[in-house]
Amino acid sequence: MKSTTARNLAAAVTVGALLAAAGCSEGDPAGSSKSAERTLRAAFAGGGSSETLNYLAGPTALDFVRAKLVHAPLCELDPKAPDGVSYGVVETITASEDLKTYTLRVRDGVKFTDGKLLTSADVLYSLRAPMLLKGLPFTMLISRNFDMDAASAPDASTVILPAKSPIADGREVICQTTLAIPDKTTEFTTSTPSSGPFTIESFEPGQSTLLKRNDSYYGQAPALEKIELRSIPDGSARVNALRQGQVDFISAVGPAEAKTLETADGLKVTNSELPYASYLQYTMNIKAKPFDDPRVREAFRLAVDRKRIVQNVYYGRAFVGNDIPALGFPSYNTALAQRGHDPERAKQLLTEAGAAGIKVELTAGPEMPGMVETATLIIEDLKAIGVQATLRELPAGQLFADYPAYLSWPFKAGYTPPAYFEINHAPGTFPDVDALVLTARSAVTGQERLTASHQAQKLLWEKGNQIAPVFVPTINAASDRVDGVRELQFPDLSRVTLRN
Amino acid sequence: MRLAGWLTMRVAAAAATLIALSAVVFWATEELPGDAVGTSAGPNATDAERAAIRVSLGLDRPAGERYLEWIGQAMRGDLGESLLTGRDVGEIIGDRLSTSAAVLLPAAVVIVVLAVGLGAAAGLRVGGRWDRALSAITLGLVGSSDFLLATALLVVFTAWWPVLPAVALVPAGEELWEHPDLVALPAIALALGGFGAAMRLLRASVAQTADTGFAEFARLNGIRGVRYVWMVVANAAPSALHGLSIVLAGLLGGSIVVETLFNVPGIGFELSQAVAERDVPLVQGLSLTLGAATLTILLAGDLCAAMLGRHQAHPPGVA
Repeated sequence: MKSTTARNLAAAVTVGALLAAAGCSEGDPAGSSKSAERTLRAAFAGGGSSETLNYLAGPTALDFVRAKLVHAPLCELDPKAPDGVSYGVVETITASEDLKTYTLRVRDGVKFTDGKLLTSADVLYSLRAPMLLKGLPFTMLISRNFDMDAASAPDASTVILPAKSPIADGREVICQTTLAIPDKTTEFTTSTPSSGPFTIESFEPGQSTLLKRNDSYYGQAPALEKIELRSIPDGSARVNALRQGQVDFISAVGPAEAKTLETADGLKVTNSELPYASYLQYTMNIKAKPFDDPRVREAFRLAVDRKRIVQNVYYGRAFVGNDIPALGFPSYNTALAQRGHDPERAKQLLTEAGAAGIKVELTAGPEMPGMVETATLIIEDLKAIGVQATLRELPAGQLFADYPAYLSWPFKAGYTPPAYFEINHAPGTFPDVDALVLTARSAVTGQERLTASHQAQKLLWEKGNQIAPVFVPTINAASDRVDGVRELQFPDLSRVTLRN
Repeated sequence: MRLAGWLTMRVAAAAATLIALSAVVFWATEELPGDAVGTSAGPNATDAERAAIRVSLGLDRPAGERYLEWIGQAMRGDLGESLLTGRDVGEIIGDRLSTSAAVLLPAAVVIVVLAVGLGAAAGLRVGGRWDRALSAITLGLVGSSDFLLATALLVVFTAWWPVLPAVALVPAGEELWEHPDLVALPAIALALGGFGAAMRLLRASVAQTADTGFAEFARLNGIRGVRYVWMVVANAAPSALHGLSIVLAGLLGGSIVVETLFNVPGIGFELSQAVAERDVPLVQGLSLTLGAATLTILLAGDLCAAMLGRHQAHPPGVA
């Protein structure tokens, strides 16, 4: 009798569970796919509730991608253009003969979405905003180079910026990140007037942003009606969302995931081309032993098998580096020989320096795709030349969290986003290089500047303290209906078209 | 009125626990290497810029002073503002909690239904085929990590038999609970991870009760079928309820992995982001909410057990 009871009960429970499962499985697997035909759904890593419409305070790629779709850039870095920049709401930038004053001419007829004309007051405010609104350090490049208190707007279409010291690359400084916002903007909301190709319809931090085409945009009108930007922090969740058609485009795909997506039907994987690749570097602290000896630094650089890193870590989606920054930018010194893989010479150098069999610890963390994996291969390469090398792997988000500690470590991983070498050079390690960079930024003729820059890079190549085995592009993947993504440092979606 | 006194004691103890927890969490976040200055400044900031950010975030003041100020405000119901965005922490928690609840509540219901149903079925026939099969399954589930279960579900329901969405993308302006298809996979993943332990607790308790003289007496008196099952389960429930409430409280912690994998922007997910960004007020607010929720569930479990067991001679263990 007892057994019948138990069996009945079991049957009832099983049926109940099946019903529950069936109830749950109703509905559309593609989730939000009911959105309009000309809406692009794009997913980025984003952040949690710390995502913000204030691009001056938003550190994630998504914050900047969104801001650039909403607020038109003054101008953008464009290594192929004659001035090194392409112009936006600013039409031209001219430097005075003595390189002390820059004059910006504002494009006529650009309007914000509230109908007001964009004038020099807005441009001047946009340039000062990082200081006034406490922007993150990456936005401070302008105030480090120009005297913003003395800057002025003498008429509605002119802005005059005095440089703190003579510089020839003021255009690159101005154009690295600045976006046009209305004068006196103090907070960024969905109703802040926009000058860019899109306006914000709704925004939920950490989840989604819906952008709508701005029909009064001064530039080329976007083909898309709407863009839905999604935050999906987990890399494999992003890939799953694309595979299932929940989104049309994803950014920041890991190299291994890219490899598996390449063979998927209806999807395409792309990566940014040079110069838009991050400078992945492993820095040796020259104030700490054994790295105070240039022979040890050279030995470590010769020990690394760069091609193996490109193949095994990035499956071919990376560019071999030559231990100097800014590969692909116009002033990159291409005359330097590519450093090869020479373990024998490396061993010999270590012996000469009396550093054979020395112990080192490399600190790395997953701050960009392949950073830890590359470090692992470097450790193997170092062991192969007799160094007792170990890897200290930090959890995500910790590598740069305590910056003074980071600076003090003897051997550590780091990266720099794609940018010109001269304006982003951090002085303090080699005084002779610093002096050359100063000349490269301020000499009167272009030839003098280029010669000094190449000389500085040569010194860094010879005795520098960074192993830069690869330059890492941003890998994106999309449905093959998506065309027209501009793969810059971050993808620009303003000219995307969607096929049915 | 002994119950009321007991309840007051428990609530007071819970409040004291929360205060202690807030101090521990604050201290732990302080002890982690780095702070919000480092995470928001980026690698290329100058020392002066770092110092300016530190002052503007108020992080130049001593930790003790900041903690006292925070707890003073928290007592008045103000959890402060996020260091990074200035958003109200209470508001963020409200958003995240409702999203988490959309996944946690269905998971809890499934756990209770499965644990009670299968636990009773197995406990009434200890050693039977049904019991052995269930034991094998539940031990397998208990032994599998949430990550493994979630990945297996993804493979089955999004790749082999693609009927469910892989990622919980809620359309703008809507709430997660309005979309059962988005809730299904994360809720099932949590339920599978949690129900094994709960079911085994109830099974053991049912088996024990069925073995007592009192149950045998009932059987000898001809009590059969649903009445018998109900009688045994009702008597077995109080001791299993403690276990069940611990399992349910544990869901809150387990949800971090599941929320990350399915991109559910819930409270656990937000907490892991806040820790990575060293956003102390947000970490404090979120962990206190999780702590309060856990203590509430445990208290509710004890209270239910006390109600069910009220015929017992002794009051429930006074905390």
